[in-house]
Amino acid sequence: MWNELLGAFAAVATLPNFIAMAAGIWGGVIIGAIPGMTGTMAVTLALPFTFYLPPVTSLLLLVALYKGSTYGGSISAILIKTPGTASAACTVLDGYPLAREGKGGKALNMALVSSCIGDFISNISLIFLAAPLAMFALRVGPPEYFMLMAFSLTIVASISGRSLLLGIVSACLGLLLATVGEDMYGSFRFALSEDMKSGLGVVPVLIGLFALPEMIKLAVFRPEENTQAMKLGDNRLTMSEFRGSLKSIIRGSLIGVVLGAIPGIGPSTAAFFSYSEARRTSKNGDRFGEGELEGVAASESANNGCCGATMIPLLALGVPGDVITGVMLGAFMIHGLTPGPLLFQNNIGEVYSLFIGMLFSSLFLFVAGKLTASGFAKISRIPQQVLLPCIVILCVFGIYSVASSPFDVAVLLVMGIVGFVMMVLNIPAAPFLIAFILGPMFEDNMRRSLAISRGDLGVFFQSWISWGFFALTILFVALTIRREWQKWRSTSRAAN
Amino acid sequence: MTPNRDFYTGLVATAFFAIVLFVLIPVYVRVPSFIPGFAPPPDMWPRIIAWVGLVMGVLALALAVPKMRRSTGEKVETVGAYLRANRIFTYRFVWMIVGFAVFVYLMPKIGFLTATMALLAFLFIMTGDFSKRAWMIGLTILFPIFLYVIFTEITHTPFPHGKWFSLARLLHLI
Repeated sequence: MWNELLGAFAAVATLPNFIAMAAGIWGGVIIGAIPGMTGTMAVTLALPFTFYLPPVTSLLLLVALYKGSTYGGSISAILIKTPGTASAACTVLDGYPLAREGKGGKALNMALVSSCIGDFISNISLIFLAAPLAMFALRVGPPEYFMLMAFSLTIVASISGRSLLLGIVSACLGLLLATVGEDMYGSFRFALSEDMKSGLGVVPVLIGLFALPEMIKLAVFRPEENTQAMKLGDNRLTMSEFRGSLKSIIRGSLIGVVLGAIPGIGPSTAAFFSYSEARRTSKNGDRFGEGELEGVAASESANNGCCGATMIPLLALGVPGDVITGVMLGAFMIHGLTPGPLLFQNNIGEVYSLFIGMLFSSLFLFVAGKLTASGFAKISRIPQQVLLPCIVILCVFGIYSVASSPFDVAVLLVMGIVGFVMMVLNIPAAPFLIAFILGPMFEDNMRRSLAISRGDLGVFFQSWISWGFFALTILFVALTIRREWQKWRSTSRAAN
Repeated sequence: MTPNRDFYTGLVATAFFAIVLFVLIPVYVRVPSFIPGFAPPPDMWPRIIAWVGLVMGVLALALAVPKMRRSTGEKVETVGAYLRANRIFTYRFVWMIVGFAVFVYLMPKIGFLTATMALLAFLFIMTGDFSKRAWMIGLTILFPIFLYVIFTEITHTPFPHGKWFSLARLLHLI
């Protein structure tokens, strides 16, 4: 392993890779700092450009965008009380009161330092956990994979939205859309036009679903913006302030690693969990919510602690844990790499290059944050009515450039409308996206299993691994139903 | 989220999956007369998904009805009344769909560059906020040209010229 890591170090340390990582970090921070723009949007917008880059460079660019946007969300959270990304929502609680006290720069510095530490710990855990998990996954056959994917989709469906039912509806829509085109035995399904015979491209569907609905929402509802940015003020983070928050940073990073590695949970939950733990155990617990640096540290270390950890199930099992890793799965496939246990056998060089590059990107994040915090602070004031239309045009150009296909542009716009309708109906988009990407593999494993067993459904329950995933799926569904039932009962009681 | 919205979400999901199951799959998923080995037929997977989606849609619908009745004093708001109450949003949404459709239709006729300029102008107008008018006008003209040059020079993308008119060809001549 150490030899491979050293080899990867040499492979990563090239100018194009450094430029990609720096561009990714800066681009991610900029996008994350703009309210309404998400990390998912940052990664999906960059996807068309990665077609023209080598696999490792393009993956490093996407990972850097992910990390940058996760940190960038804290800038607008602290300075204008509007989290740039959902994962930074918790940072508002203490970040904005600090900015009002004239300590915005201090809060940003604490967010940066804790983000970088959380990110570094997450990357280390990825390096040490992904390979053993992949080795275990080598023993997994099509029936077990089918059960694993059903389990992952169930978790994502139940956690991403407000209700399990709508989450499953969303996943079904994604799975159905993935069946459009030619199947593995050459039959055409839902080929309503000649263009649809080759199926729907991953990139137009992803970008349409995540980048366009914000523009349509702005055009339809026209919300009034009233964001007054605070000044950076006191910028210096002292050693004693850092030491006072170190325990929360380490704990937050570990919480981020554990929750990030579980498909479907993601950085927002990790940030809130870490924040509440820090509040419970800190001697300044009663100051939380009024401008406590430790609160910023706890939430930021946890949300960035998820960044590397969400890659563990993606790389080792080929199962994306959240939307961003779902997009990354698409990027891997575009470059002919298939995440999963075989990736560690067939493309070990690329895997270790990615690991090393991720460690470098933590460093880039720190440098970028230190050098340009004041510049980033201005970005959070860019008005959405100027920005969002330009993003749509960028998407249209990007999508057309991928395959020179007007059909892909039409798919992009239609998916934007679908994404907006889903947003209005409160159907979560994350299960849709992950189901759309996993759909072909999901079906492939089901059909292979049934072909092997000559149509006997018992093949899905022949090994303890299958049983384990089945039991976990049932347990998770039962817990979600119990939670929803309790919520429904308390609402009914309140109504009566 | 209003209880009405829960109800309409269930309704849309149920209707969609019912159409897929009973109309689209029989018509648009052809099952070959001979399938080698024990491979499941191509319509099996879409049918499973559509059934699951349909059941979930019906459940969502069924669970939303009592909540909706309770919150609206036993009166259920009709789709028509709901749309009339939100008329302005509905119009704007329809305008967005029409704008996108016109863009896709005009792209081969007036060329990619001109069509994207028109789309950008349309999107700026749809935001309804013209406080940054100078920026908007400047970006409408310059941003698509900037992207056109970047993508043509770096990725060598052959953007379509219009059948009726081509601004890109004109710029090239200049």
